[in-house]
Amino acid sequence: MHSLKLIYAFLKMNIQMSLAYRADTVVNILLNLMWLGWELLSLNIIFSNTQTLGGWGIGELIALLGVFRLVNTLMIALIWPNTEKFNQSIRDGSMDYTILQPANSMFLVTFSRITVWRFWDLILAVILIVIGINMSGDLITAPQILTFLLLALSGIIVIYSLWIVLIALTFWFTKFDNNVTILQALLDAGRYPATVYPVWLRVIVTFIIPIAVATTIPLQALRGELGFMQVLIFFLIGIASFVIASQVWKAGLKRYSGASS
Amino acid sequence: MFLIFKRLWQVNWAEQWQYRANLLMYLLYWLVSPIIYLAVWTSIATANGDVNGFTANDFITYYMVLLICDQVTSNIVIHTFGYKIQDGSLSGELIRPIHPMLTNALVNNVAFKILTMFGLTPIWIILFFLFQPDFSSVTLTGILLSIPAMILAFLIGYLQSAAITALAFWTTRVYSIHEFYFALILLFSGQFVPLPLMPQVIQDIAQYLPFQLMLYYPIQLILGNLTTPQIIQGYVMTGVWLVISWLIFNWVWRKGVKKYSAVGA
Repeated sequence: MHSLKLIYAFLKMNIQMSLAYRADTVVNILLNLMWLGWELLSLNIIFSNTQTLGGWGIGELIALLGVFRLVNTLMIALIWPNTEKFNQSIRDGSMDYTILQPANSMFLVTFSRITVWRFWDLILAVILIVIGINMSGDLITAPQILTFLLLALSGIIVIYSLWIVLIALTFWFTKFDNNVTILQALLDAGRYPATVYPVWLRVIVTFIIPIAVATTIPLQALRGELGFMQVLIFFLIGIASFVIASQVWKAGLKRYSGASS
Repeated sequence: MFLIFKRLWQVNWAEQWQYRANLLMYLLYWLVSPIIYLAVWTSIATANGDVNGFTANDFITYYMVLLICDQVTSNIVIHTFGYKIQDGSLSGELIRPIHPMLTNALVNNVAFKILTMFGLTPIWIILFFLFQPDFSSVTLTGILLSIPAMILAFLIGYLQSAAITALAFWTTRVYSIHEFYFALILLFSGQFVPLPLMPQVIQDIAQYLPFQLMLYYPIQLILGNLTTPQIIQGYVMTGVWLVISWLIFNWVWRKGVKKYSAVGA
């Protein structure tokens, strides 16, 4: 409950901040629509040349685009702004004040900045998923929707945990300013089903920088392609990665000594 | 003049060398999309035999050459110069007797390019062994012809980006404008897919725009897919667009500097 109240406070603060830049918000939304147009056009180009891509039709690819946009929103609305603030606070020592506050420092560091207008992107993503699934004509049962939600959540947690580990590395290497660029770089791989990639690339996006765990795999669950054991394993990976990330964060925090001391 | 450029080179080379970790990250960031397009299109071509006459090897060679052409013809001037207009640090450069955009920023960009080339080379060789492209259609003449074409195309792109950057004299939203420009490049340059696979309308428009000169044209030159009239036509287009871009940049820059009033001035 305590953290819900905090999130509410952060949201209110961030809405106030973004209201100061209304025109920017309009421009950004227009650009966002332009990119959506491009993404749909590129899918159209692909499917005017082929029937299926790695066994998936255009409907599934549109749904995948929706799931990809969920992860992308996480990246833009939460990961980038908070990382920027965090890196700054390590450099100038203002991290001291964050630690002094009577709340979990990992929570404070990862949720204090939220690009609020990006919420409309989440709605757009859900619309894309629904339209895509409808177009594909796949028969979706209630348990499949449930496993999809479960694995999408677990995939998001995996990405979130990886982010924690990447920024926690800054405690050890103060000049590690590029901590999340690698995440952003491989993000684009989430636009297409990981099954079309050559083996080495599939290994990278599934195990090392697990973008596919948050994009391809939940959608496979929605299509009923995953067995019970696979669903269980991917769900456990989500929990395990969060536990590991919290431990790395704690270890890193012990290393922190402020900028001046 | 030569001495000035020599000194600018030393300064900018040292500056870029200092940020070599950043550079590697940039390289990674910029490599991923073409590799993904390569993987997607080769998978389609393998599944269907070919895509409108393009075989899997055609796609592999196309994107492998694209990695090099894109590196040569693209520029980062919006990121290295835009903030100088906004925070007023341009003032110091304006009082020097040399053009800030056409000397210092240009040399800086070239230093950046050459350093990333060093990073790209080993990665490109690894990709070569992973994808095993068949480059038998490449000719020495094609490569030699492509080098001036790419340098001129870089200048076209640089002048256009510089003109957009100079819009910072009027508006703070240059980054949004540049994002739109970037989308045009994606649409008309052949970055996503070889142009003949794009919708007919886009192909027709792309013919007259400068963006295909930055990627599609030099790639085809290197791969030896062009007839002599096509090669000449490409060079003529490059010349025309270079003049147009130069005129646009010059006009925007002159107007902008007059408009400029730095913070604290």
